[in-house]
Amino acid sequence: MKPLKYLISGAIFAAGLVAGAPIFSEEVTVTLWSRADRSGPMRAGNIVMAADQLNNFLEAAGSDTRVKLELIETNAKGFDADSLDLLKAHSVGDTPDIIVAAHEWIGAFVEAGLAANLEEHIQANPDLYGDIIPQLWNSVKYKGERYGIPQDSEVRMFFLNNDMLREAGKSEEFIASLPEEVNAGNFTMADFCDLAAEVKNSGAAEIGFVHRPNIGPDFQMAMASFGIDLYNEDEAKLQITRSGLVNYYTWLADCVEKGALPADMTTYSWDSVHAAFRGEQALSKFHGIWNLGPQLEAFGIDPLDADAYFNKITWINAPAGEKGGEPKNLSHPIVYIVADTPNKDLAAMIVGLASQPIPNTRHAVGTNHTPINNSQAAMPEFVTQGWGLVAGVPLLEYAEFMPNHSRIGQYNAITFQGVQAVETGEMDPEEAAEFVIEELETELGDDLIILD
Amino acid sequence: MLNKQGQRQITNALVFLGPACVFLVVLLVIPIIVDLVVAFTDMEQTIIVTELTTEQFRKIVRPNEDALLGFELRGSFYRALAKTAVFVFFTLTIFNITFGLLLALTTTALPDWLGGTFRAIWLLPRMSPSVVYALLWIWVVDPTERGLLNQILVNVFGTEPVNMFLDQPMALIVVANGFIGASIGMLILTSSIRSIPEHLFHAARVDGAGSLSIVRHIVLPALRWPLSYITVFQALALMVSFEYIFLIMGPARSTMTMAMLAYTKTLAPQIGSGQYAYGAAITLILIVFGTVVALVLYRLANMRSLLANPKIEVQ
Repeated sequence: MKPLKYLISGAIFAAGLVAGAPIFSEEVTVTLWSRADRSGPMRAGNIVMAADQLNNFLEAAGSDTRVKLELIETNAKGFDADSLDLLKAHSVGDTPDIIVAAHEWIGAFVEAGLAANLEEHIQANPDLYGDIIPQLWNSVKYKGERYGIPQDSEVRMFFLNNDMLREAGKSEEFIASLPEEVNAGNFTMADFCDLAAEVKNSGAAEIGFVHRPNIGPDFQMAMASFGIDLYNEDEAKLQITRSGLVNYYTWLADCVEKGALPADMTTYSWDSVHAAFRGEQALSKFHGIWNLGPQLEAFGIDPLDADAYFNKITWINAPAGEKGGEPKNLSHPIVYIVADTPNKDLAAMIVGLASQPIPNTRHAVGTNHTPINNSQAAMPEFVTQGWGLVAGVPLLEYAEFMPNHSRIGQYNAITFQGVQAVETGEMDPEEAAEFVIEELETELGDDLIILD
Repeated sequence: MLNKQGQRQITNALVFLGPACVFLVVLLVIPIIVDLVVAFTDMEQTIIVTELTTEQFRKIVRPNEDALLGFELRGSFYRALAKTAVFVFFTLTIFNITFGLLLALTTTALPDWLGGTFRAIWLLPRMSPSVVYALLWIWVVDPTERGLLNQILVNVFGTEPVNMFLDQPMALIVVANGFIGASIGMLILTSSIRSIPEHLFHAARVDGAGSLSIVRHIVLPALRWPLSYITVFQALALMVSFEYIFLIMGPARSTMTMAMLAYTKTLAPQIGSGQYAYGAAITLILIVFGTVVALVLYRLANMRSLLANPKIEVQ
């Protein structure tokens, strides 16, 4: 019975291997899920380095445990698509330990049993998290508890090309006073639209202003300007107001009507949107602070020369919808999420190490994102290279976050349909608002509150 | 125990019908069953099913007491159905059939090498990767003066640049799909023309028939069945086609056909997707419409007699 003999000896050998393994050392594989993204390679890179750091600590402590970091680099087109892929992977048991995600997906991740509650971990490690800008914690909360660690933050703005304003006959005083006028609520969204149309009609610009061509946070920022409060935190439900929506769509329709905004904006490619502003065709672009780097390059400005940049470009918040109202900003942090797996304690420690000022500054300054720790602003890299980020921080005063609700993706998609409909002239603002509310009610059902 | 002939018949059936049956079951029957089941669940982002429900269909219809069944489709779906009908009708009639026929007729009338060259050129769009093909179209109709179409319009005809994305989106996707669709018709019809016995052409010439008469009395009657086949097959293919629409137009409302709607609600990136059960319900409606259209066309084109047993026994 030779085969049986082989089988038995094989089994004994295998059992010996399994039992003997801990004697050599214990290697714990921690998996990291991160989307390949040019705008933030260090989001994953910092985790990899933090794992090395942790191994150094473990070695020094004489521990036999080692962390082996396995990177799952996905190629989804954006954070929404990536999160959907992740949810599917989670459902079939392929749950990674650490996730790089856009914060608004936290709600969906908690509901799916994917994200671990980090409240205890954060409170037990004040030395790791004590310096994080308090406001940023709001972006990782779901029903009052923290399920992630902010990885970066950002501000969004309307960029205006000062040269074009000058060419259109605007005075230096006017240009210099714009940010203040916006913040005081004197310069409204409608005024912005008129200004863009005026500059375009004067011949100083070919296009008034451009916004993103696809679904994204900029639109929520504009909606907030028109008084739409997206989220009811107490009930954890999304909200909409009919009147706010009509005002918002009316503004877009007026901008198109006046020639300030191209009617086919939503069919632009991202490249065309970038080219319109960086190629000095458009007076203004509605986007975020990470545009700074490419703009410096496109306009041929020395990256260390803040004065030259601000002589050319003005930043303003999204102006208020009505005179005397409040301007708005929207920060859209990317966050680290620790999954509820057996490795969660170790994974949380790695995330904690990756969130320290030095690694985070490496990401923030390199990719033009605002920092997560208060102390980072005083670091040499920030002072010399990060002047743009320092300049962006005051805009954060008006910043809100997208709701961490599992259906925010659908909400954004439906309200964007209304944007397409009014800009292309398919519907008037009332019709669009009516249509959007019907779609929202149908798709979101009980998750939506209609305020008026 | 089967005799030898019986065994052989079974083997033959397996060998000849087996692959087709496997293909049908794996690619058609199973997906339809899966779609049917998913449409009656609450499957969303996590792909976990917690209950069986008709909720998805309640999203598609709304109550209307005047309607026949007490409910009607919601506006978005009427719109999507209308857009699907326009897209399928024009792509099919203008390109897949008429243009395909014209190409077949003209390229077979040319000397072989020249006809073959033209056919090869018309096959290029089908052979090139869809993303490349879509990118070329995006460049051709670019609304600025960088676009090929606008360069021609502005520089040759001296007209204003046009913006097809905004003003003629449906025409754009009809033409882009049509250029590809025409080649299938061209291939099938060419081979049908080639299979017409050559002596018929010579006899017609001897009888004094001109080229047009030959086309009218000899070629077209021979193309009836292939044309019926192309009509039914391509109508169904176009109903569910969204690849080029998505690549060229993105999730634009102006070209949101039923197939696009199902795609954007389920798997498309960055546009509120992940509603798998909802998308399955939309697809189910598309399957029902497709079946109805297929049956009607089948009847109109009298496909039964095409598929009937031959009158001559072939042994």
